[in-house]
Amino acid sequence: MSQPTPLVQPLLLQFQQLFFLSKMVGVLPQNLDKFRYKNVLEKSRNGMLYMLGVLSIYVVLYNLLIYSFGEEDRTLKASQSTLTFVIGLFLTYIGLIMMATDQLTALFNQGQLGELYERIRVVDERLYREECLLDNSCIAKRIRIMLIMTFIFEISILVATYINLVDYTQWLSLLWIVSAVPTFVNTLDKIWFAVSLYALKERFEAINATLEDLVMEHEKYKAWLTGDDATTATVGNRTADSQQSSPPPQYDSNLEYLYKELGGIDTGSLRNSGGKNHNKVAPIAHSMNSFGETIPTPHKPQRMNTNPLINMAHESELNDAAKVEIKLNNLCQVHDEICEIGKAMNGLWSYPILSLMAYGFLIFTAQLYFLYCATQSQSIPSLFRSAKNPFITVIVLVYTSGKCIYLIYLSWKTSLASKRTGISLHKCGVVADDNLLYEIVNHLSLKLLNHSVDFSACGFFTLDMETLYGVSGGITSYLIILIQFNLAAQQAKDAIQSFNSFNDTAGFVGAATEMDNNSSTLYDMITTTMMTPTY
Amino acid sequence: MSPNTWVIEMTSHKSRSFPNPQRNPPHPRSQLSNDAFSRRAAPGDSPVFEDISTILSVLKASGLLPFYEQLSSYEVGPPSKTNEFYSFFVRGVVHALTIFNIYSLITPNSAQLFISLRETDNVNQWIELVLCIFTYTLTVFVCARNTKSMLEIMNEILKLDKEVQRQFGVVLGNNCNFSVKFLVVIVCCQAYIMVLRFYAVKGEITATSYILIAFYAFQNGLTATYIVFASALLRIVCIRFHFVNQLLNAFTYVQQQKLAKKSRRQPAASNMEHFPEESLFIYRMHNKLLRIYKSINECCSLIIVCFLGYSFYTVTTNWYNLFVQITNNKGLISAHILQWCLAWLCLHTSLLALLSRSCGATTYEANSTSQILARVYGKSKEFQNIIDKFLTKSIKQEVQFTAYGFFAIDNSTLFKIFSAVTTYLVILIQFKQLEDSKLEEQVQNEA
Repeated sequence: MSQPTPLVQPLLLQFQQLFFLSKMVGVLPQNLDKFRYKNVLEKSRNGMLYMLGVLSIYVVLYNLLIYSFGEEDRTLKASQSTLTFVIGLFLTYIGLIMMATDQLTALFNQGQLGELYERIRVVDERLYREECLLDNSCIAKRIRIMLIMTFIFEISILVATYINLVDYTQWLSLLWIVSAVPTFVNTLDKIWFAVSLYALKERFEAINATLEDLVMEHEKYKAWLTGDDATTATVGNRTADSQQSSPPPQYDSNLEYLYKELGGIDTGSLRNSGGKNHNKVAPIAHSMNSFGETIPTPHKPQRMNTNPLINMAHESELNDAAKVEIKLNNLCQVHDEICEIGKAMNGLWSYPILSLMAYGFLIFTAQLYFLYCATQSQSIPSLFRSAKNPFITVIVLVYTSGKCIYLIYLSWKTSLASKRTGISLHKCGVVADDNLLYEIVNHLSLKLLNHSVDFSACGFFTLDMETLYGVSGGITSYLIILIQFNLAAQQAKDAIQSFNSFNDTAGFVGAATEMDNNSSTLYDMITTTMMTPTY
Repeated sequence: MSPNTWVIEMTSHKSRSFPNPQRNPPHPRSQLSNDAFSRRAAPGDSPVFEDISTILSVLKASGLLPFYEQLSSYEVGPPSKTNEFYSFFVRGVVHALTIFNIYSLITPNSAQLFISLRETDNVNQWIELVLCIFTYTLTVFVCARNTKSMLEIMNEILKLDKEVQRQFGVVLGNNCNFSVKFLVVIVCCQAYIMVLRFYAVKGEITATSYILIAFYAFQNGLTATYIVFASALLRIVCIRFHFVNQLLNAFTYVQQQKLAKKSRRQPAASNMEHFPEESLFIYRMHNKLLRIYKSINECCSLIIVCFLGYSFYTVTTNWYNLFVQITNNKGLISAHILQWCLAWLCLHTSLLALLSRSCGATTYEANSTSQILARVYGKSKEFQNIIDKFLTKSIKQEVQFTAYGFFAIDNSTLFKIFSAVTTYLVILIQFKQLEDSKLEEQVQNEA
């Protein structure tokens, strides 16, 4: 992937489409021309003005939407309990709040975002120098998939709701399109975050893979040195043993085949230098080199590409403590730098993530609650009309929760990947079985222990699976509370109505003196309806 | 001197006898002259803790802190006999007032305090009063018990300052201006609430009511002031942790690279050779700070737990009242209750935010020391051993500010409190609506 002249391709090269789209919709204010020609994000005053203009247009349109569709709500307000109304009002505006948070944060961070990607570029260069290469092309693929998914979701929700539930005979109903704007803008912003996070995760994994490769090469090397007289079966056993500790077995076996062939070629040269572990293995490096040029159809392109380089280096590396120390030190520093970038990125997006999580929680609860209300043929706020149709509700829920869960999942995975580096490093120490190297590994793993990258929303809660569990628990308990009270209120209302009708009929015959009696029957009625479990 | 001979002691308190690296002309440290640490000439006889002197004097006058004697600019001594007697006397008066307060709460003397419309509100108010009395009494008791340890904490901080002054010639500022602002906010809120209460009472106000209301405001104000004091202490510790981190930051590989770039133009030696001596000082300072942090936690945690409980209750009831007032169907929004609720909410929310933020910041600074140290890459084995010692020590060392061991206080606490408040509000409001619909029904019934 990386070309030698600029050393590495900048990550932002993969962001082309996303950037143009975000620029158009008004998610990012950065300079378009600079991005197109130099692939850098730079501050731009015009972009800022454009973004502010777009934001204010959205706000005006959205308010117009709420106003024009709110007429149905006015009757609702009279009939409905105040709590539902206030919550409904809050829910209608949370989308707008979320969008405004995203855009304003992007405005404030416009300089820092560029720096962030510059830092990632520097890290890539260092990684390149340490011979662990990265494949950025899948990031562009990912962006495309995410964009397509977003379009599918947004358009299906919009069209389905518009056709089914909006009165499209009126000209004003076209305003309904605006209701999709906040979620769309928000999703674009979150795609930036998610993809950048994914890139960081890839970098952590590249470091881990490099370390694991070192281990594997050394295992093979040891196998040749000690078992060159023995049959291939024992070699197979040895590697099988070692495979238990290293996770990707199919990769191992894939390489093992190559190594057997290679072992056959190199036994002669190995025997010459055999027995001495500290021997520099120039002949091997040489033969590797020739082998690397004729590498057959790579199964996993990224890793296979790194192999020849590492093959050359490793033989001398895990045996040569001084050299490996430099390499491990560098990897450790890069790891720290990536952790720092992760923290900085989390800082840039902390408020948008907080608002997204609040939005996700509220909308998920509200949508389910209003779905319940709609099945009971109660009136619901007009902006949540999609809840009238269970099918559309499912799409909305999948879309909203997909955004939140994917971000949480990715953050969790990234911090896991960063923690895995320590394990990979220790494998190096174990496999080398060298006192000096072990000391280095010990020292570095102590350092790695203190590199922490935990993603959190403004420090209020961390983004990991535990939080996801807590949030889903919260949604469930809120739903239960809301539905229970809705049931009770509904029963009370029914009781009043039945009492009123009863009163009307009784009014003709009944005397005023029976008032006490009536109230007691009412009381009975209420208690019986409350007590009966079925609705 | 070879760095391997050093032992980093953590447990022994008094018995530490370090070969103190006395470097009287402290080497120039340009990177420390930033604004975070105000650099002043050595203070002559200026009072210690100048930044928080206002809040200190308030607490001293109310008997919560002793009137300590200032022995030198870096040491405080125990209070003199008369001053001790004064504190004792004030506390006695406070306890007597509390007993009178409780007595009048269970007799009809305090009927004028309960001004609300409904029965449940009065119960609420009663519980709030009792909680407030309990919190304040506990504060007084705990403060009286912890007089000595509070002085010890102050002395430890001052000793640390002295050492920093000797080593680096830097006088650490405390940057506690917020304490005065919060004091003003507390006084304003309490005075405002007091005035509101006086206005709300119908008819002639009896002397008992005057005393009770004034004492209630006094209790609330002092508890809040103590919380601000605790936050100020935490801030002081936080600034020292930050100083340590800054010192250490100069040795990280990022800074070393920057230095290397500079030295290409002008040959300047890397400052890495100072690392062994500096690191010894830094480790000691860090350990001392951790000890101070822990003792502050021990001194304050019981009070803080109580305050958090009280605060939680107050915030919930006030939000509830506010909501009930706003959504009142009858259309008569009482401006009086609105103001009252807003004043309480403003006070308690800001205090909660202050407390959790300062705890969170201090914990963060304390924990980031090892993270910064992990960025120091020593060339030789000796350097690596020095680093390893500290990192190994700090593996399982959880630095936290706990509320009497119940839970850790940081930013997430604020989040948890407010999510709990929301949950309770939803439940309470739903019940309120059921109640209302029942009432409506009865009204219809009557008609």
